[in-house]
Amino acid sequence: MAHAATHDHHDDHHGAPTNFFTRWCMSTNHKDIGTLYLIFSLAAFFVGGSFAMVIRAELFKPGMQLVQPYFFNEMTTMHALVMIFGAIMPAFVGLGNWMIPLMIGAPDMALPRMNNLSFWILPFAFALLLSTLFMPGGSPAGGWTMYPPLSLQTGSLAYAVFAIHLMGISSIMGAINIIATILNMRAPGMDLLKMPVFVWSWLITAFLLIAVMPVLAGAVTMLLTDKYFGTSFFNAAGGGDPVLYQHIFWFFGHPEVYIMILPAFGIISEIVPTFARKPIFGYKAMVFAIAAIAFLSFIVWAHHMFAVGLPLGAEIFFMYATMLISVPTGIKVFNWVSTMWGGSMTFETPMLFAIAFIILFTIGGFSGLMLALVPADFQYHDTYFVVAHFHYVLVTGAAFAIMAATYYWLPKWTGHMYSETWGKVHFWSSVISVNVLFFPQHFLGLAGMPRRIPDYNVAFANFNMISSIGGFWFGASQLIFLGVIIHAVWFSKKKATDRVWEGAKGLEWTVPSPAPFHTFELPPVIRDEELAHGHVED
Amino acid sequence: MTQQAGKFDQEARRKGVRRTAWAVGAVAVAIFLYSILSMLKLS
Ligand code: HEM
Ligand SMILES: [Cu+2]
Repeated sequence: MAHAATHDHHDDHHGAPTNFFTRWCMSTNHKDIGTLYLIFSLAAFFVGGSFAMVIRAELFKPGMQLVQPYFFNEMTTMHALVMIFGAIMPAFVGLGNWMIPLMIGAPDMALPRMNNLSFWILPFAFALLLSTLFMPGGSPAGGWTMYPPLSLQTGSLAYAVFAIHLMGISSIMGAINIIATILNMRAPGMDLLKMPVFVWSWLITAFLLIAVMPVLAGAVTMLLTDKYFGTSFFNAAGGGDPVLYQHIFWFFGHPEVYIMILPAFGIISEIVPTFARKPIFGYKAMVFAIAAIAFLSFIVWAHHMFAVGLPLGAEIFFMYATMLISVPTGIKVFNWVSTMWGGSMTFETPMLFAIAFIILFTIGGFSGLMLALVPADFQYHDTYFVVAHFHYVLVTGAAFAIMAATYYWLPKWTGHMYSETWGKVHFWSSVISVNVLFFPQHFLGLAGMPRRIPDYNVAFANFNMISSIGGFWFGASQLIFLGVIIHAVWFSKKKATDRVWEGAKGLEWTVPSPAPFHTFELPPVIRDEELAHGHVED
Repeated sequence: MTQQAGKFDQEARRKGVRRTAWAVGAVAVAIFLYSILSMLKLS
């Protein structure tokens, strides 16, 4: 930075390439790459959502209505893969890309060119994955968990595996980038324990990614060699063991579900203090709880396998270890509530989504606790109760947090306010319909309706019809979301201030709205009272 | 927005980034290889 003196007035759009291809395809700018991730995620959300609409349409009435059974199974499998790897994870990476450098006072991500590669792998990975739908023999249809031997019957397995390899590489590179950024690029004075909770949550999530994405890659590679190269990792006839796959998969799979919720915890921990106009209650406890959850997530995987016939000691160990996770999770919920307690709260759309998150995610946590009880899980396993559980944690948890974050930071990204009225319409429509959609699935599961089936006993008809109505309603509500975003980006006339929200604290609110193409080319001076958490004693 | 000049060493930052990236990347590759190799049973 030899020419620092000339850089004082860099807070404008200087530097953004005007050529479309150069700007977006060759981007090394964390904000543009963040935008690309977010657009990709929104597109995947609608693709995955349309698969869900097919599922709910088929299940609207008992009997086979619209689709062939194999196609139905393709839909459940692809819905999960697209939502997990295409919608939720890229959304968090996009939010991290946009906000982490702004929050820690860094000029960009540590490895900008790798950042570009991480993103641009994804469209190719998804083209590969989705192309299997059009192949003779169809796409993978044995569930997103791809258990052998069933998954080995899939003709297009190699395509799916290669797609997963690519997504894995993309995630690992993204994680390396985030770790390198947070550990090395903080502005002087931004100590680790002054970082926003969102940044902390991403740091810990990135370590989880590094630890488990390679395990998923290993698992699917072994599927590949079992199918095409004559190995017998999971083939009992050749001395292997199909249950081994389940252990490996869930050693990845359980931390993976936390990969999809820890950044959400971070987002909620940013939004609640802003709209309660109080610093977060128990900052250090919040950080510690995230770390504790991350650690525990490695020793609970077999709670997905209680019904395969584990030794009794293992069942008991995994049951108690799983229940232990509710302790740090409870700490987080209590601290969010304590943050709101006595605050002067207002209820703009981001806060509404955050409050809905706290309540509805907790319902998902409770159904998780019920599933963690070994004897109960023998009854609940592979029923709609599990489906209800993970949709409460993933839709009203992860997806609601992403929506909250979108409303919260959209004015910073675009420089315009979104329509508060339509944001609230989107919120209320979503929060009511999502419960109509998923709450009855608890009852269906308790009554014994299995998951992943296209037809069912007439006894389940009523709740399924209610659930499907909620499903179409929730799907339609998301078109409002799309409309609000399009309006805010291109049509809104209402200019956003730099701080946007009265109670907002942190470095990201000290830069103009919209955030200029280059920010913090020289590190900012950190004033503790400007930070969201810096001077908080606890 | 006040900015502070100097006060930090660009080259040291680069070095740190490179070190972190290689270390973390190596761990990822090692876990991938270990996950497969540890499952091998050659007889
Ligand atoms: C309080 C914490 C939690 C507990 C105690 C818990 C417990 C469980 C248990 C025991 C199962 C297996 C049920 C079965 O297959 O019989 C399960 C499934 C699942 N959980 Fe959770 N869970 C918790 C939080 C979460 C979170 C935060 C997420 C994601 C954000 C999540 C996502 C899932 C998913 C996706 C499945 C189903 C996987 C599949 O079979 O396809 N859970 N949970
Ligand atoms: Cu789990």
